[in-house]
Amino acid sequence: MKQYGPTQGNILGSINRRFLLKAAACITGAAAIGRVPAVWAATFDEVKDQYMSAGIDWRQAAGSRIQLAGLTHPWMETIRPLVPIFTNLTGIEVDVVEQSNTEYITEMPVKLAAKSASPDVYMVWAQGQAVSGGWLEPLSSFLADSSLHDAQWWDDDDNFPGARSFSVWSDGESYTRTITAEAQTLFVNRALLDAKGQSIPGTFDELRATAAALNDGDVSGIAMRGKATGDAVAWPAGGYVFSHGGGILGLDGAVAMDSPEAIAGVDIYARTLREGGPLGVANYHWLEALNDFLQGATAFGCDSSNFATDISNPDKSQVADVATFAAFPKAPSGVSKPNMWHWLTGINRFSENKKAAWLFLMWATSKPTNLLGGAAGLATPRTTAWSSDAFKGAFGSEAAEAALANLANTDGDIMKATWFHPQAGQVLDAFAIAVNEAITEAKDTESALKAAAETARRALGQ
Amino acid sequence: MNVRRGLPRNAFILMMLAPTTVLLLGVTLFPFITALVMSFTNYSLIRPDELAWIGFGNYANLLGSTEFWQALRVTAVFTIVAVAVQMVLGAAIALLLHYETRRSAWLRIIYLLPMAITPVAATFTFRMMFNPSLGVINHMFKAVGLPPQDWLGSPSTALFSLLVVDTWQWTPFIMLIAVGGLAAMDDEPLEASQMDGASFWQTLGHHVLPMLTPYLAFALVFRSIDAFKTFDIIFVLTGGGPGTLTRTLNLLTYKHGIEFLAMGYAAAISIVMLIIAIVASQIFLRRLKLLQPRQARI
Repeated sequence: MKQYGPTQGNILGSINRRFLLKAAACITGAAAIGRVPAVWAATFDEVKDQYMSAGIDWRQAAGSRIQLAGLTHPWMETIRPLVPIFTNLTGIEVDVVEQSNTEYITEMPVKLAAKSASPDVYMVWAQGQAVSGGWLEPLSSFLADSSLHDAQWWDDDDNFPGARSFSVWSDGESYTRTITAEAQTLFVNRALLDAKGQSIPGTFDELRATAAALNDGDVSGIAMRGKATGDAVAWPAGGYVFSHGGGILGLDGAVAMDSPEAIAGVDIYARTLREGGPLGVANYHWLEALNDFLQGATAFGCDSSNFATDISNPDKSQVADVATFAAFPKAPSGVSKPNMWHWLTGINRFSENKKAAWLFLMWATSKPTNLLGGAAGLATPRTTAWSSDAFKGAFGSEAAEAALANLANTDGDIMKATWFHPQAGQVLDAFAIAVNEAITEAKDTESALKAAAETARRALGQ
Repeated sequence: MNVRRGLPRNAFILMMLAPTTVLLLGVTLFPFITALVMSFTNYSLIRPDELAWIGFGNYANLLGSTEFWQALRVTAVFTIVAVAVQMVLGAAIALLLHYETRRSAWLRIIYLLPMAITPVAATFTFRMMFNPSLGVINHMFKAVGLPPQDWLGSPSTALFSLLVVDTWQWTPFIMLIAVGGLAAMDDEPLEASQMDGASFWQTLGHHVLPMLTPYLAFALVFRSIDAFKTFDIIFVLTGGGPGTLTRTLNLLTYKHGIEFLAMGYAAAISIVMLIIAIVASQIFLRRLKLLQPRQARI
């Protein structure tokens, strides 16, 4: 039986600042102690009406039990304590399984290829692989079923345009829903810049020169990823390539990482790290780069806007009061195209609880849930969450402003050409090795990228 | 009931051995045959529906790729250098322990500790020690006026750092076997040579080492095979970088199988690794006849 609430069309009406701050405290508390505090019972009454205003029967799969799988990520930390709201609303029990990044991306392909029925819902780490492997349930039948989906209530237009395009595959089918929004952003330790009379750079070359000037052996000028793996250095170096007018794969799917534009982008990335980076930067993943910035051991960072949550948190960051956030630098042509990312979730094609899984997916990506997540500092893909005071408070209004500006400059098509390719793993691995070789000067940038392009072409049969 | 009266002796033995044999075949032969068959297909988890028999296609691609030869070269260098250093150190420590009688029991336990530690736990500790800005190794370098090094990220030091960790962990294995060999050694020829006026080095070179050779050969073969397929310390410390300078064949297999999901190709690399290990160890054992105890020259 469908249930219609009185506030349909104005579902955010009763979610006020006080409620969101309380929710944020609950999420933080739950994450800290590993279980849901009793205060959720009170907050549920406040939020329940927002969900009940959806034009669907939330309890149509009551009594089911589903499994949610994901890797260690802020979204998992945020969603886990909110699960009791979903269970209370739908009568569906959810088992949350969280693994480390390495464990997750090695176990899931094997599990899904073996047509395992669990998990029912999972974080999609590589949409190209998952769609090609047939591991994701197409969502069109759910979206077309009015008993399962209230389009007006869910309000896809509230998602960023990039987020909307991320969840639509090249065949026009939708296999996933977006759960985060990230863009490459420049983090600045203002105190270190002020001490040496430097200003925030606006171009890549200014960034390189400023980082080199600030690099004094004890404190580095800049910390970015340098590790030679496809999941490490490829993403931030990608923004440099895109801004110079290049691509790793072109829009036609052809290998493009050895174009003059791509070489120029990688060259300035590598030079910036060579001249301004800390010792050992060639082995840095995002965690090492973030840690350096949080400890005040580097003047600049340039990575996911999501790091702002940690950088702005005085419990985790020694630079919370001196950190500022800026636009991704520009290439000599004046173009700035930071890399982007939207994490995705989807339904396992072999799930035996697809209706319950869909209800969870819709709930987890809805406006109220995103507002709750945003209040805890999660950068969700929804504009309403980003414009809420609670999100700005947790994320930092300056960081939110910079991230939004950078998100607006991203080019989803050129990014998706590589990262959504079914063989993205091979392409990004070759590219990452070349960038790393350029950083360590094992090879010059051009010959490293030409060798990498050959490897990628052979892998793709081009 | 008298089992032996009811069943022929051979049938009884077969029945007793059958469960273990079936289990062993299940966990060794079955995966091997699966990998062998898979290596002749284009099986990929990304495109499972396009599964096809491609004969020696994977092997041809592999042998024609520069990444294979680069990984083979890295694997060979790592194996040869690591095993050579460990053999010398392990045998030397064993000899010292053999002649040190009062504290040898305690020292033996202490020297064996690295081998008893979980490799990944030890490797993470080394990762912290090698950290360029926070690690204890660079701290000591700076204390004596030497410049800090990028141990794991620099092309000139990454492989060396891996060899240090592997040597720290596995020298005790060689030592353990050599200590056993020395303990089992007949002392009479040794005493005779000393009575004839042989020096320590003469006794060592002409008597002790020849008698120790079968034990060291055993250790060498086992350690070589183990070093050849080292994965954990390389994966944790360098991930195969910088560039591909520490990417061994085992890491290449992981890349193609687990990261790229190209199971057929990864299986082909595994089979090639198996063939190399078998051929190398057989050539080594047969040509040098190291499993035959040498006659001590007295």
